[in-house]
Amino acid sequence: MRLEDFLLMRHELLLTLIAIIILIAEIFTDDFKKQGIRPLSIILMAIVTIVGFLPAPTGTLFGGMYQATDMRLMMKNILNIGALIVFIQSASWLKSDDNQNKVSEFFLLLISTLIGMNFMISSGDFLMFYLGLELATIPIAALAAYDRYSNKSSEAGIKLILISALSSGILLYGISMIYGTVGSVYFDKVSVAYGATPLQIMSFIFFFTGMAFKISIVPFHLWTADVYEGAPVNVTSYLSVVSKGAAVFIFSIMLVTVFQNIAAMWKDVMWITAAITMTLGNLFAMRQNNLKRFLAFSSISQAGFIMLGIIGGSELGMAAVVYYILVYIFSNLGAFGVIAAISNASGGKENMSDYDGLYKTNPALSLTLTLALFSLAGIPPVAGFFGKFFLFTAVAEKGYWWLLTIAVLNTIISLYYYLLPVKAMFINKAETSIAYFKSDGWTKVGLIICVAGMVIVGFASVIFEYIRTLSFGL
Amino acid sequence: MKDMSVALKFIPLDHYVLLCIILFSIGVLGVLYRRNTIIIIMCIELMLNSVNLLLTAFSVYHSDPTGQIFVFFIMVVAAAEVAVGLAILVMMKRNIDSVDINLLSRLKW
Amino acid sequence: MDSQNKFMPQDYIPIMIQSFIVLGFVLTTMIMTHLLGPLRKSKAKLENFECGIEGMGNARSPFSVKYFLIAILFVLFDVEVIFMYPWAVNFRDLGANGFLDMLLFLGLLLLGFIYIVFKGALKWDNS
Repeated sequence: MRLEDFLLMRHELLLTLIAIIILIAEIFTDDFKKQGIRPLSIILMAIVTIVGFLPAPTGTLFGGMYQATDMRLMMKNILNIGALIVFIQSASWLKSDDNQNKVSEFFLLLISTLIGMNFMISSGDFLMFYLGLELATIPIAALAAYDRYSNKSSEAGIKLILISALSSGILLYGISMIYGTVGSVYFDKVSVAYGATPLQIMSFIFFFTGMAFKISIVPFHLWTADVYEGAPVNVTSYLSVVSKGAAVFIFSIMLVTVFQNIAAMWKDVMWITAAITMTLGNLFAMRQNNLKRFLAFSSISQAGFIMLGIIGGSELGMAAVVYYILVYIFSNLGAFGVIAAISNASGGKENMSDYDGLYKTNPALSLTLTLALFSLAGIPPVAGFFGKFFLFTAVAEKGYWWLLTIAVLNTIISLYYYLLPVKAMFINKAETSIAYFKSDGWTKVGLIICVAGMVIVGFASVIFEYIRTLSFGL
Repeated sequence: MKDMSVALKFIPLDHYVLLCIILFSIGVLGVLYRRNTIIIIMCIELMLNSVNLLLTAFSVYHSDPTGQIFVFFIMVVAAAEVAVGLAILVMMKRNIDSVDINLLSRLKW
Repeated sequence: MDSQNKFMPQDYIPIMIQSFIVLGFVLTTMIMTHLLGPLRKSKAKLENFECGIEGMGNARSPFSVKYFLIAILFVLFDVEVIFMYPWAVNFRDLGANGFLDMLLFLGLLLLGFIYIVFKGALKWDNS
């Protein structure tokens, strides 16, 4: 390998490097110095995130197994930002006594999933894709079971590992059928040779099912709420934002490039699943009382909205998907950040009724949560509106009017339940609302980044235009 | 080596595909119907192994080694998956004193 | 492979002979011990442990989870060896580059192993 080749895969190499640094720091330091691992990891991650934005060459490696294009680099950068925010938000949670002795494991596992996601996004063949996918899912199961003595946490962990193993089994069966019919696992060869023979259609259905589990599209969504509720809040936020974003990225890339020959077919499948996903996610979200569960179902319906952009399939649609994920990262992490801060300060209060009268006691946190929920719902001043707008434009451009109608109706339904916590915080009277507490510096920084992201990404149209120029070459 | 692949090709490819579908279906049904977590993990392994067999068969028929390399990686990843799964299983056993999935209804809508 | 590497069935005769010897040895020893050994059946003889204390309870009781931890670690490190087989077969062709790659792989694996040792996963007593 030449030096430029190292530059080509710098995201993965840098992440591997900081994983090794943290591992060595964990092994060779005494208990006192271990206090420093938390800030060290966050600073290293921040450096990696910034370095990721520096201009760099593009190209392919390992005979096409690894592809680095501008668009994929952008996707990796977006994921890095999400992971960085999760790191910052979890800093104060990791300081508690229960988590003292497993701080570096948290960072190590998160970084390894991030490496997996980056490899997955850059994959140019099914082998690399599969390895990245597994590296991105297995450590998350360990993270979901992070609270060693909590029943809920272990339940979430076992459910996540069983579901992810099952779904990757199904996915692999699809891949093996693709390999059998085409004779190659390279994306470019498969995309040329892929036709619509019955065996190939069957393989696509298996593949689609496997990916649908990972993105939690509706018939395969039942694990989502359980895992999201059981896992610790910071892990849930990572799971719902960064992991889902990575899976959506690679899924959209593969649908548009690898399966382009059967685009008419998968668009029909996506049409139906997107409509069901949006509607069911919304209907279930309405009756939730636990806020983590509420956000779980809301994230299911958001996945349905994201699928609109993939169905659009055009270059505008791809840009809309990437842009929406960027917005979604800031909004959802903002919401989860507030929930995590309140849950940590109040000893695990996560129900909607606990938030009654929160505005009186903690105005800053309630305003942040309100802004995040507005952004998720798509109310104009914040970025979420523009994200939804571009997704809808991408669908309308191709003339899917019925789907657009369903999507708009669902947006209106979602307004109702996104305003429920807002109503609880601002209007509902409570005898014992959560007392005022001072959140520490890390939490503040994390939330400020989220709020700034929600506002800036919405108003700076440069960002969308930039993403759009990239999406010519996937 | 070539002799072996020639010998393997005496069995028609359809047979391999059918066998793998049967194995895979047994695995999926096991995952869906069994309630003991360890048996579920075993069934998932069965699914993965049917995929491995299929990949190997295709690899021989295409005279292309990629499929067999894929099998190597699937085996390693499956081992990692099982290690994490079993570790969480032990945690679950300590917490709720059972490995029965039906008891996992604490998180339900 | 070329014609010189064609293996006829008779080439496998040494393997067959070896398997016969192995099987024969095992069977012979098993049969001979049963025939030659003196048979003494008494209660003390049939006890699980012969250390003077009365056996009690069921053998299928929960055992220390440490066995389990070591078993899991064994599974992980055992399976990684799978990548060394193709490398070992093509050792000469891959040359120095392949050797460096394998060193990198083993180095990462070793780092994981050091982590396990320092975390005390292989310690038998918790003192």
